[in-house]
Amino acid sequence: MRPLLLPGIGVGLILLLAMAAPLLPLADPVTQDTVNRLAARLPGSPLGRDEFGRDVLSRLIWGAQASLQVAFAASAIACLVGVTLGLLGGWLRGVAEFAAVRFADVLLCFPPILLALLVVTLLGPGTGTLIFVLSILYLPNFIRVTYAEVLSARNQDYVQAVRALGAPTPRLLGLTLLPNIAGPLLVQFSLAVASAVILESGLSFLGLGVVPPTPSWGLMIRGARATMDVAPTLLLWPCLALSLTILLMNLLCDALRDALDPRAAAVQPRLRAIDRLLPGLAPPPQPALLEVRGLSVEIATPKGMVRPVEDLSFTVRAGATLAIVGESGSGKSLTATAIMGLLPPAARAAGAAWFEGRELLSLPEEQRRKLRGGPMAMVFQDPMSSLNPVHRVGDQVAEAILAHRPEVGAAAARAEAVALLRRVGIADPDRGARAYPHELSGGMKQRVMIAMALANTPRLLIADEPTTALDVTVQAAILDLLAKLRAEAGMGLVLITHSLGVVAEVADEVVVMYAAQIVESGRVAEVFARPLHPYTRALLAAVPDGEHEPEGIPGVVPRPDSWPPGCRFAPRCTFATEACNQAPPALEPALGRAVRCLRWRDLPA
Amino acid sequence: MSLVVAEAVEKTFGAGGLFARGRGVRAVAGVDATVARGEALGVVGESGSGKSTLGRLMLGLLPPTAGHVRFDGAALPPPGSRAWRALRARMGIVFQDPFGSLDSRRSIGAQIGDGLAIHRGMGGAERRAQVAALLQKVGLDPRREAAFPHEFSGGQRQRVGIARALATGPDFLVADEPVSSLDVSIQAQIVRLLADLRRDLGLAMLFISHDLLVVRHLCDRVVVLYLGRVMEEGPVSRVFAAPRHPYTRALLSATPMLDPARRGARIILPGEPPSPRNPPSGCVFRTRCAHAMPACAEAPPPLSDLGDGQRVACIRVDEIG
Repeated sequence: MRPLLLPGIGVGLILLLAMAAPLLPLADPVTQDTVNRLAARLPGSPLGRDEFGRDVLSRLIWGAQASLQVAFAASAIACLVGVTLGLLGGWLRGVAEFAAVRFADVLLCFPPILLALLVVTLLGPGTGTLIFVLSILYLPNFIRVTYAEVLSARNQDYVQAVRALGAPTPRLLGLTLLPNIAGPLLVQFSLAVASAVILESGLSFLGLGVVPPTPSWGLMIRGARATMDVAPTLLLWPCLALSLTILLMNLLCDALRDALDPRAAAVQPRLRAIDRLLPGLAPPPQPALLEVRGLSVEIATPKGMVRPVEDLSFTVRAGATLAIVGESGSGKSLTATAIMGLLPPAARAAGAAWFEGRELLSLPEEQRRKLRGGPMAMVFQDPMSSLNPVHRVGDQVAEAILAHRPEVGAAAARAEAVALLRRVGIADPDRGARAYPHELSGGMKQRVMIAMALANTPRLLIADEPTTALDVTVQAAILDLLAKLRAEAGMGLVLITHSLGVVAEVADEVVVMYAAQIVESGRVAEVFARPLHPYTRALLAAVPDGEHEPEGIPGVVPRPDSWPPGCRFAPRCTFATEACNQAPPALEPALGRAVRCLRWRDLPA
Repeated sequence: MSLVVAEAVEKTFGAGGLFARGRGVRAVAGVDATVARGEALGVVGESGSGKSTLGRLMLGLLPPTAGHVRFDGAALPPPGSRAWRALRARMGIVFQDPFGSLDSRRSIGAQIGDGLAIHRGMGGAERRAQVAALLQKVGLDPRREAAFPHEFSGGQRQRVGIARALATGPDFLVADEPVSSLDVSIQAQIVRLLADLRRDLGLAMLFISHDLLVVRHLCDRVVVLYLGRVMEEGPVSRVFAAPRHPYTRALLSATPMLDPARRGARIILPGEPPSPRNPPSGCVFRTRCAHAMPACAEAPPPLSDLGDGQRVACIRVDEIG
């Protein structure tokens, strides 16, 4: 609520001042006093007198009343009518849509000043006319914004849900649609008020608006212009008042929009830059393809340091597949981005990760970039948003080749791209290479992503949920492809997934993560046949496979800023005892694997 | 006794109109489906199979292009009519996306209470009490009725969505991929909740999913769709133990299994699913079927009854065993 305070008080003060004008001990704003014409300062007139000797302060405040009245009234009318027309047009479609949209288009065809001239000529100048003109001018904006917002909101699930409940149209429009499109409308309203104040001043300045001697800011500017060289401050005051009002209005509407959005409370405040920590411990015992030791990811938040990945160690051998599994929020994806060096700026990796003997985390960015997409590559979950929609996919694969091997040349790179597309199973790769991403299915796009990752024959491929967005039959084909590539080229694969079935079918080793830590790791066949950690057990029991009824795990993964003091899984664990809540258990070797549980020996097999 | 009956329903999108070019997309092409009182019917298929469209047709949210849907013996009134609105109280829908299906600007209590306000004219304390009871029923703390959707996890939001769908005490619930975007540990909770609610309330349910394993535990019968046509249907025990249609077999074999013993030889379907805009002639699955022969291209195969309610749309079902 604090962001609302300052602009709210400011706008409130201005409105109060304008409304209280009759009550304030001000000189009459229209009484002329030609003797004191253009006086700089007089007792009772701190801002001086204007060209007819009228009190400037008094005229400024009375003028605010006139200007703001016109601006608010015009914007409110435009908003009310425009939103109604837009809502009906966007929701009912058909005739209402045609009427609302075409009406707005016709209005938009008139140049604003011409329209104002026309109406003023017909109706004569005055405050009422001005309000009428301005509300017509701002009407199309409200219609169009509302109409567009309704069109995009009407097919959202939450709107369909209320429709499925059989809500009458007024209830649906008022309770569900209107609050959800209120943000842009509020902004539109603030813009309309602000520009109406300016336009009022402009039209009054041209003599088309408020009729003298009624004070208005526009008329004050108009009057001051004539005597600009004698009394420049006369121009300053109304201009200052105008700018200040508009600025405060805009600030207020921005703050209002944020305050009215209940989601805003959940938005994290901006992160602070964090300290660099010492990376790397001892060199790896024996060279593996990827050796991760004590990897942590730290993010500094206003509430203190959080560690969404903590003390992770694992090894990937050439030609082998290591799977990382766990629920959402366990830190799987951050682990992958940390290894690839793609962490967001606020996050920082500590520990060590050796790729073929080179420590990655302490490597300068320039050298890491050479590794990325070259010897080590990554495939992301969402192929839809990872491909550039305006380039042909063949060119994008060729680009990946040229980024690391510019000596290949454009023509050869394109030929190589087609060969790669064939290798990942795209039928008719010549035609496929000329396609744009939107012409391909989800499975095809994921194949293109894999082709790009394979462009420079990586020795390590990190795949972050590569098949989650795909159908099972397509998933089977992609997993098949990855297995083939691994066998043929001896590529190491890190597969991040939440599907235990996928792990069981393709991985050699598995790392089970829970709340930033490894809770169990070992060979897949052994871990799945006899899980030692209660979390691994619970995860396996939740899979609707086999004859047993699947069982859920109560509760959710705790957030990084509120880890339980002892074992992090203890609050959800059916085997937890008092000791589990006391101190965090260490990862200990057990039956040829590693497990982080105090009670693994006591658990029933 | 059948509660909802779809007879040869069809839905074509994007056809007709003055400026429409070419043919529309037949999302659902002549499907018969029935859901008996208290029965759970699973609808499985991959993207583009028309399973969500079928769900909306059976709810009456979309008018069918051809065929018709009867609910409790009477034809569904046209969407938007007074009778249609009144009928909403007897049907509920649960959506896939736990984030997009709730209005982020209203408290969950207000959203759950919507149905009560609309159909029962219930207000104030009475409605609040009812909402609290619903929250309790779906396993949420009734004191949180004033909280907003963003304060809940994905699984909890899905519970809110279920409470909203159940508020008016419907006879028929359509669950459109309700667990697909949840973690497996949460999936099992929600499936269990739906199973319990179905038993306690005697709900008839249409459960739409691409995950065959989930359907198996929750549903009595299952319908397998491919490009808007029924490939196979029957009791889950029959269809999962002895799938007869080549597509059902491919789908089952592609589903990753934990237990190595349950894993059969994986059938990788060649090529890509055909575009629903331009489906193959005859059997729509023939372009990817290992058993296809020239006769398959001639006419759409009829559903042949194999006994025990299992029906398969394949002319070679006897030969391929």
